[in-house]
Amino acid sequence: MRRSVLLFIWLLIDLALFLAAYVSAYFFRVGFIISTDFPLDLYVRVMFLVAPLWILILISFRIFTITRVQSSIRNMIHIAYSSLLALAFFSLAYYFLYGQFFSRLLLVYAGVSTFVLTALWHLAFDQWQRRILRRSPPAYPLLIIGANRDAERLITLLNTKQSVFTPVAILESRGTSQKDIGGVPVLGKLNKLEDVIKEKKITHMAQCADLEHTLNLLSVCRQHGLTYMLLPSVLGIVEGDERTEMLEGLQPVTMVAKKSVFRF
Amino acid sequence: MQCFILAGGFATRLWPLTEKRAKPLLPLQGQPLLSHVVSKVPENMPITVSTNAVFGDDMKAWAKTLPKRSITIRIEDTGHEDQKLGALGAVRAWMEMDGLHDDVLLLAGDNYIGFDLTQLIRAYHGNPILVAHDLQDISLARSFGTVIVEKNDQEVKTVKAFEEKPEKPKSSLISTGCSILPKEHRSLILDYAKRKPDNIGGIFEEFLAKNISVECLVSTDMWRDIGSFESYLETNMTLLKNTQMMDPSSSLDAASSMKGGVFVGPKTRIGHSTIENCVLFGSSIINDCVLRDCVVDEGCTLTGVDIDGKMIRAGTTLIRSTNS
Repeated sequence: MRRSVLLFIWLLIDLALFLAAYVSAYFFRVGFIISTDFPLDLYVRVMFLVAPLWILILISFRIFTITRVQSSIRNMIHIAYSSLLALAFFSLAYYFLYGQFFSRLLLVYAGVSTFVLTALWHLAFDQWQRRILRRSPPAYPLLIIGANRDAERLITLLNTKQSVFTPVAILESRGTSQKDIGGVPVLGKLNKLEDVIKEKKITHMAQCADLEHTLNLLSVCRQHGLTYMLLPSVLGIVEGDERTEMLEGLQPVTMVAKKSVFRF
Repeated sequence: MQCFILAGGFATRLWPLTEKRAKPLLPLQGQPLLSHVVSKVPENMPITVSTNAVFGDDMKAWAKTLPKRSITIRIEDTGHEDQKLGALGAVRAWMEMDGLHDDVLLLAGDNYIGFDLTQLIRAYHGNPILVAHDLQDISLARSFGTVIVEKNDQEVKTVKAFEEKPEKPKSSLISTGCSILPKEHRSLILDYAKRKPDNIGGIFEEFLAKNISVECLVSTDMWRDIGSFESYLETNMTLLKNTQMMDPSSSLDAASSMKGGVFVGPKTRIGHSTIENCVLFGSSIINDCVLRDCVVDEGCTLTGVDIDGKMIRAGTTLIRSTNS
């Protein structure tokens, strides 16, 4: 629920920022007057036409997904691409509707301000969203399987980065004497899985150990509608060189040796 | 004499098979393990099964399946593993609560016993006695508690010492969960149980330490401690002896085959699949699969998957999509 409200606010403000960027570009280029040569009403009409497309472009780049880190280079590139695409749609729409082109500098202003405003807003929103979603009770309580150092690293990472995924419990198939890891309680062995999922209202599960139980953990996740995540280290991939690639429509987890010249 | 069966564990190592089922209620050839154990107890002997609060209702339901036996289900006030009374603690609680002053035939509910317990009862003459299983290969005894006995040609031998998981075993005899605790030593048992509620085997060392003679009946009949997936599957395979058992309500189409030991419980449909050394609890649909060395719990739907050496949780649905 919290996430839905946040997402709605996010999309609404993205839309408003897009319009604001194009309106400000108009005034920067034309001056703070209503030009008769280049009527504002025609310009605004196209703007409103393209604004939903702009949102769809952002959605297609998966920019609003919960796992997206807004400060990542990839995300910034996607916002830049989206700004460019919106610009192209805007120019085409204007030409198709009115059969004329207009100031190229205005397009540069509009494109740059769309990117800058959106990027800054997304960075600020990301921080705000993380805080809101981590508030008790957390919106995305994460159950960790395995009480090993990988689990500890994951917990530290998620807590340091204020991830929207809040580790709330750890289960370990072999049992451990540790009572907690990084402040997250170790609640027992896998026989408590169902109870913990219900009590802690788990939404996500991260498997950090116990490869032999993957199939059954997946079964539990499917039955309870949880999102399942597998750390690459469980498969022995620890050098950070794993990538997800498509293999004729399949999506295997791929490890690429660092020395390889031709990367697949 | 009364029989006391320990069934209070949470069997976490056998997750997910024991997620909603006590380990002693795991099926072996379609019968709960506990039913196999009870079948070895003389018919007129009262039986008490000690279990935990989580599996209490299941145990009561199981006891009703054996109406001819006098079975009491004793539910420990333990809902989690960390609240467990301990095996000997459970014996003590039972003895004290019920004011028991009788010899106790003590059995482990998670052990499969192939030997006849009347033989043990016949061999009992007032001294503590236990059944030792002869592995017949000394090197195999490393991972068990071994029993060192005085050499004689008699059926019943005197125990000299015990060794827990010795690096260099001196004996191929390993202690099983079967023993008789005499009523004469009730106070000693209660006192030791108070101090070491977890150490069921330790009571016999305590007897030796107090110069009480401990006797041992050696058996070469089948005995298995079902503590892991591997041992559970192996026990099933040993009992199946490379044969296939299928409930009449289950079906196997002409394009399917079963190899090695296979047990298929009720209401299971197998089509276009190869099943080898597997136990299928029942009510499952297996289509276009290759299953080897697996235990498939109830209510699974598996399509187009090859699975090797796995326990598959009840209700698992694995249907290969057409593009994967």
